[in-house]
Amino acid sequence: MAATQVDRAPLDAYPHVREVQRVLDERFPYFARIIDRQVQEFGPAWLAFLESDLAKFFQGDLERLGQAVFGYGRFALDGMRLQKLFDKTHRYEFKSYAEASDEVYQNRDYMFSLYLPGIYLSHFLWLHHYKQHVFFEEKFLPLVRNHGGMEFYDVGVGTGFYSKEMLRALPDIRGNGFDLSPYSLEHTAKMVDAFGFLPRYQTNLRNIVSEPIEKPAPFIINIEVLEHLEDPQEFLNALCKMLEPGGYGLISAALTAPNADHIYLYNTAQEVADQLVSAGFKVLDHIEDEAYQPRKPGDTVPRNAAFIVSR
Amino acid sequence: MLDEAIISSITPVFRRIFEDESLVVTRSLDASMVPSWDSLNHIALILELESHAGVKFTTDELASMANVGDLVDVLKGKGYSGA
Repeated sequence: MAATQVDRAPLDAYPHVREVQRVLDERFPYFARIIDRQVQEFGPAWLAFLESDLAKFFQGDLERLGQAVFGYGRFALDGMRLQKLFDKTHRYEFKSYAEASDEVYQNRDYMFSLYLPGIYLSHFLWLHHYKQHVFFEEKFLPLVRNHGGMEFYDVGVGTGFYSKEMLRALPDIRGNGFDLSPYSLEHTAKMVDAFGFLPRYQTNLRNIVSEPIEKPAPFIINIEVLEHLEDPQEFLNALCKMLEPGGYGLISAALTAPNADHIYLYNTAQEVADQLVSAGFKVLDHIEDEAYQPRKPGDTVPRNAAFIVSR
Repeated sequence: MLDEAIISSITPVFRRIFEDESLVVTRSLDASMVPSWDSLNHIALILELESHAGVKFTTDELASMANVGDLVDVLKGKGYSGA
C-alpha cells in the first residue's frame, strides 16, 4: 500500500517543532497530524509561539525535548483510553485525593516522565487547551493591563505555563505560585527561570485551604485544578478570599475529561459557574471548548470551561 | 509462522476499524499509511484488539507500538498465538 500523502507544514525554520514532529512520526504516528491541524486552525502565529516557547524551555536540548514528547504521547494515550471507558460509565474512577496524590503528584518519576511534559505540550497541541490560552491573551490580559495591579497568585501551578505567561506578558508584575506537589513547583521554577523571570516569582508548597493566604492579590490564576479536588467548593471559598475586590481571576475546569488524577466530575460549565458564584465570585466572561468533535452520537469528549471572574 | 498467524487473526479487526476490506496488514504497516488511522481510531483499534486477543496492554506497551510489527511483538510476549 502506498503511503498517504499528508500536506505538511514546512518546519525548516522551526527546529524544535520539527523535533516534536519527528518524534510523533516515529513513536506515535497516529498523533502525527496534530501539528498540521493546529497550524490549519491557528496559523503561523501558533507555530512561532510554540517554537519560541520550546526554544526557551529546552534551549536546544533536543534529547530532553524528545523525552518530553514521548511523555506527552503516553499521557495522551492514557487519557484517550480512559475517555473510552468514561463513554460507558459516565463516571471517573473512584479515587480519594490522597490516592491520586500518591499515584501522581508525589510520584517524581510519573510527574517528570509523563504528567508534566504531557500537560505542558497539551497547552499547544490540544485544540481546547490552546483556545483557553487565546481566551487568556485576548480577554483576560487586557483586563489585567487596564487594572494596573502588580501581583498575581497562581494556585495549582501545574507545569508553570500560565505563571510564565503572566510574567512574560506583564514585564513588571510579580507572582506567587502555590501547589501541593513539590515536583510541580520544581518544574514551574525551572520554566520561569528558563525565561529569566525567577527574580519576579516565588513558589510555595502550601495548601491554601488549611493555610489560608491572608493578603489578597489583584489577580489570581487557577487553571484546571477544581476537577482534581474532592471538595472544589471549599477550595473556591478559600480562593475567592485571595482576590482583591475589583481584581480579576481566570479560573478553568476540565469537564467530562477522565484522567489518572481527576476526581470531581463536572458535566457542564454551569456546574462550575454555580460554584464560583456560591464562593462569592462574579462571573464576567467565559468560554467552553471541546478537544475534538465526537466521532459518533453518545461519545463523550474532553471539554474545558474557563471563566473570568471578579469580586 | 507465528507472526503470520497473529497478523491473519488481527487483520479482520484492522479492516473493521478502518472500514477498508482490502487493507493488507503487514509488520511495517503504520498510521501514516492508512488515512483513517488517527488517534481516535487508534484507541478503538487497541480496545478491539484487547478484546479479540483477551489481553490488556499497559501504557508502556501502548507507547512502544509504532507499527503493526511492534504490536505483534507485544502480543507474542503476552502468549497470544493468533489461534
